[in-house]
Amino acid sequence: MVAAKSVEAPNIGFDFSNYARNQFFGERLQGIPKATSTGTTIVGVIFGGGDSGEEYGVCLGADTRATGGPIVADKNCEKIHYLTPQIRCCGAGTAADTEFVTNLISSNLELHALSQGRPARVVTAMTMLKQYLFRYQGQVGAHLVLGGVDVTGPQLFTVHAHGSTDKLPYVTMGSGSLAAMAVFESSFRENMKREEAIALVARAIRSGIFNDLGSGSNVDVAVITKNGTENMRNYEMPNERGIKSRNYKFRRGTTAWTKEAVRSLIVSEEIKSTTGAGKDQGGVEVVPVPTGAGAGGEEGMEIDT
Amino acid sequence: MALYSQPPMSYTQEPTTAPVEHRFNPYSDNGGSILAIAGKDFSVIAGDTRQSEGYSIQTRYARKVWQLNDKAVLATNGFAADGTNFVKRVKQRLEWYEHAHHKPMGLKSIARMIQTMLYGKRFFPYYVYNILGGIEEDGTGAVYSFDPVGSYEREACRGAGAAQSLIQPFLDNQIYFKNQQPEAGSEKFVPGNLPLSTVLSLVVDSFTSATERHIEVGDGLEIYVVMQKGRSADDLLDEKKLAPGLKVEELGALGEGEGERTFLVRQSLKRD
Amino acid sequence: MFLTRSEYDRGVNTFSPEGRLFQVEYAMEAIKLGSTTVGITTPEGVILAVEKRVQSPLIESSSIEKIMEVDSHIGTAMSGLTADARTMVEHARVTSQMHNFTYDEKIGVESCTQAVCDLALRFGESVEDDDALMSRPFGVALLIAGIDEKGPQLYHTDPSGTFVRYDAKAIGSGSDAAQQSLQDAFHKQMTLVEAHSLALKVLKEVMEEKLDENNVQLAQVTPAKGFEILGETELKAVIETLAA
Repeated sequence: MVAAKSVEAPNIGFDFSNYARNQFFGERLQGIPKATSTGTTIVGVIFGGGDSGEEYGVCLGADTRATGGPIVADKNCEKIHYLTPQIRCCGAGTAADTEFVTNLISSNLELHALSQGRPARVVTAMTMLKQYLFRYQGQVGAHLVLGGVDVTGPQLFTVHAHGSTDKLPYVTMGSGSLAAMAVFESSFRENMKREEAIALVARAIRSGIFNDLGSGSNVDVAVITKNGTENMRNYEMPNERGIKSRNYKFRRGTTAWTKEAVRSLIVSEEIKSTTGAGKDQGGVEVVPVPTGAGAGGEEGMEIDT
Repeated sequence: MALYSQPPMSYTQEPTTAPVEHRFNPYSDNGGSILAIAGKDFSVIAGDTRQSEGYSIQTRYARKVWQLNDKAVLATNGFAADGTNFVKRVKQRLEWYEHAHHKPMGLKSIARMIQTMLYGKRFFPYYVYNILGGIEEDGTGAVYSFDPVGSYEREACRGAGAAQSLIQPFLDNQIYFKNQQPEAGSEKFVPGNLPLSTVLSLVVDSFTSATERHIEVGDGLEIYVVMQKGRSADDLLDEKKLAPGLKVEELGALGEGEGERTFLVRQSLKRD
Repeated sequence: MFLTRSEYDRGVNTFSPEGRLFQVEYAMEAIKLGSTTVGITTPEGVILAVEKRVQSPLIESSSIEKIMEVDSHIGTAMSGLTADARTMVEHARVTSQMHNFTYDEKIGVESCTQAVCDLALRFGESVEDDDALMSRPFGVALLIAGIDEKGPQLYHTDPSGTFVRYDAKAIGSGSDAAQQSLQDAFHKQMTLVEAHSLALKVLKEVMEEKLDENNVQLAQVTPAKGFEILGETELKAVIETLAA
């Protein structure tokens, strides 16, 4: 009988060699880290052309709430990211991923434009995004609405974290996508005027802001036509904070302290003058620098409230 | 002849489909927050009116604060279905008690009864955090707070629910004067002596602030104020003294009144 | 009453054509055989007094227990089949404790009395698995004395499950004469000390033997100290005032 020969498994396909290790860490440590999904409403529509008598263009919109779990982390963040002068990308999902992927693709598009000697197209941006995202199998949690105007006309896409894309005349993404899509489904028309498109986008975002807990605060809008991009940051602010009924300024001396130590931040230093590299430095002139009283010396540290 | 003497990798030996147990989960969390503050001769019990599940708002007006009788108000937070059902049962017990003992149940008795009712479901709990506020038999304002299985305590103030971690430290600082040194030579701060107008402002600010930073808090605010019998309500009813946006109404006596008065103050909160 | 005696006095749950439950009425008769028991309400508290029938000099009189504590603020005195009273007192004690546990307050005297009376009519032929049922009515009456937020109170319960509040009440063999004496002597502003004397005076009148500290028992419920059975020295002191 011939002894069976041990043969290594061929190194092809996906590598799951860390699977058991990760599972073990998941059980023994704090669990498998979960990417936080920031609730968001982002939308886009194509407008113009046809009976409108206006240029074709793309209108993008986003809310400005960033969350960490149920806590509002940022009340006025920016979710419409710059890709090229005439391409913008709204991001939903993990904030770090949307910012990073958007920045990276923006860089690559610039290089692409430089090497090709012409502005990058929206499909190019879309392709670069989906290929990058597919490579990470959905682990890069970026859910995007991509819009812009290029040589082929107005373009609007959605890009999902796993790498799939859609090309549609009106799109929504994020936790408020259903609330926003409800508005689009009931009110979208082809060949809208620019102002109609902005109003519809703002209404869709407001629908997300008020009906989706993950979305909130203000409405950001960006309008892209072949003539350029108009950024309307905080286009609407329907959620300004009211005034507090009490004044929470504390009397000086409210905070208890155990000891007071005043230290001068200016230290005494010695400067040795040398005449040249490699020379004997012994016996050179020493110039002492006087020590100052330091900020708030004798009077004690006073902080204006 | 076999190509492999043993399977190539260890992961292939793991079952690809681990048995998964599917189970009905009878609970959910409906968000929102409640809070209560006791005064010398009054008690304030408040809650927002938003009810949500996940990222969806189920309703912008759901009651979380309930008048039990002339001297007791109960705020419930957690699983809304358990909350409303629990209040229903408490009210039923209060009625039975009146029939059996020919008197309304006192506040401390309601507190103890709530403990026994909660602990009675120790192994299938009401998923509810309760705060009971009202007037004690000696006329003082009181607040009792409970955990879902009945541990309770009388306190000067308590916040609970989704924004507890935002509200309670604020209350600790403003009501218990935690981390605040009195001015040298002046008297020590004593909790539970603040005037009603100050307490109302603190409640309103607690909720507007929680609304700013917690997604499950908002829409509306209901503040119940219970007053000792004979106490003047001028500080509440005088519109000039009341902050703008607040609306006050007096609630009638539930059952046989004994002189304590209950008022409901409403205010709107941000809806995003 | 005995003239209408018929087969209707057999079943404990059978009404006679005249609308009477004979077994319950007979149970009331049992009380009239019991030792005399007196209770008096005063603004300062309630007192209970019982005659202990020491039928033999060989009986250790302290073992006869006819006044019992229900809770720290409620006490009870009995007349009739005292063994039956144990069931009732046990129930009253459990109810009082349950009330305190559930409501963090002392049970009302009336509520406690009601709880005892709820037991009284649970007799009859047992229905299927209901083995908790008793075979006959209780043969005992209680005087329940206590203090709550409504003040000092005295209740009388009988085997029919009826309870009535009294200022002063006597039950047992000498109850007719004793009740008359109480009616003549009682007044609303009576002090506790006066009530002690009155109770023993009334007992003395109806007792066959000479009253002494061994054949009577005296208890009181006061706002300050709650329920307490008076000790031998205190009892002797009251008896001395009678002689004077």
